[in-house]
Amino acid sequence: MKGIWWKSLTVCILLYVILAGFLVPLRPGISDVSPGRVVAGEAVVLKVEGYNTFFTRAKDSIHAWLKLNDEYAFPAKHIIVSHDASIDVQFEIPDTFPLRGTVHPMSLILTDDTHGSFVLPNAVFVRDCQYFDPPDGIWENVTLIDLQKVKGFYFPYRNILHETIRNAYFHIPMWFGMIIIFIASAWCSLRYIRKGNAEEDLKALALNSTGTLFGVLGLLTGMLWSKFTWGSFWSWDVKQNTAAIAVLIYLAYFVLRNSLPDPDRRARVAAVYNIFGCAMLIPLLFVIPRLTDSLHPGSGGNPALGGEDLDNTMRTIFYPAVIGWTLLGVWISELRYRLLRLHWWIIFGK
Amino acid sequence: MHFKRIVCSLFFLAGLLISPSFSQVPIDDFMRSTGKIYVVAAVLAVIFLVIIGYLISLDRKIHNLEKKLPNGKKNQ
Repeated sequence: MKGIWWKSLTVCILLYVILAGFLVPLRPGISDVSPGRVVAGEAVVLKVEGYNTFFTRAKDSIHAWLKLNDEYAFPAKHIIVSHDASIDVQFEIPDTFPLRGTVHPMSLILTDDTHGSFVLPNAVFVRDCQYFDPPDGIWENVTLIDLQKVKGFYFPYRNILHETIRNAYFHIPMWFGMIIIFIASAWCSLRYIRKGNAEEDLKALALNSTGTLFGVLGLLTGMLWSKFTWGSFWSWDVKQNTAAIAVLIYLAYFVLRNSLPDPDRRARVAAVYNIFGCAMLIPLLFVIPRLTDSLHPGSGGNPALGGEDLDNTMRTIFYPAVIGWTLLGVWISELRYRLLRLHWWIIFGK
Repeated sequence: MHFKRIVCSLFFLAGLLISPSFSQVPIDDFMRSTGKIYVVAAVLAVIFLVIIGYLISLDRKIHNLEKKLPNGKKNQ
């Protein structure tokens, strides 16, 4: 087999990506807190549901706080562990809050020596609060809370995503692969325009087929993912729309090719269109989504590929995934190119 | 051509039938159980099936080309 070393490398990388992508556990997190509304000045018992947690193992070391803002928090009075995935946390909510307003959302902080620490933002809403400054004795300074660090190899726990954060190794590399393959294709088209070698045009055609395949896969997997996280298959999100337009531009490339009967003219027009199509990717995928609000990370002020969405644990799998899926695309393109070249030889001779 | 048209209209009808149910989001269905892990499995299945489908179409194209070769050269 031609190029056996990089084809075996592709298989190895993809095996690693799929195995590690499925087997590495998710970091423990808080999936639910009830009741979600409490009244200031009352004692409440919050039922906290954990995901991937082992509360019975962490029993004595669990500490909990309700956090008001970056300055103030108050600790739990008592914690009862019912089983691994559930604890009851008793709080005495103070009457007075060191912040103006009658309703305050508060974040729940849990920390112990087994799981490290985790936070559920806006876990409870407290109503009927009174403003009083300086705060009374129950309030503690947030910066003084001793948060335990998590040990071990975990993927981040994100509230809406849950396990679907693993799609970062399957959905996102489709787009990375598509962009890399389209750039390679534009490069071949450029060489065709400069040298006039028909093989370069066939390479561009083969790469564009695979790139479009990856784009369609990106759209399909994205739709499936968004159905179970954002709520519908198509949310008319700006990045969804521009990505669909990008795929349509490349579908038009094939229509354009097939509409021109003369092979020389077809190759030249297609090459020019291909370079313009590749240039269009920059505003469509990188500029417009950043200008407006978007559900995607990396748009409308959301950080991309950083923070909790892609931490260092995920990077050890994400970047190999990008390389692996792109190499698979190159492999498919190579098969397609060899087929096109055979076809060419049969019709026109060498 | 006729077949394609029927398939397209079936997809369209299916879309119309399913679309009213999109607005209501069930919380405890199969795809959302076990931390939504089946969404990841479904995404991988989609990628697998589409790539396999693409390879089958490639295979058929190669097969059609092979049929054009003279008989003695078929298995070289």
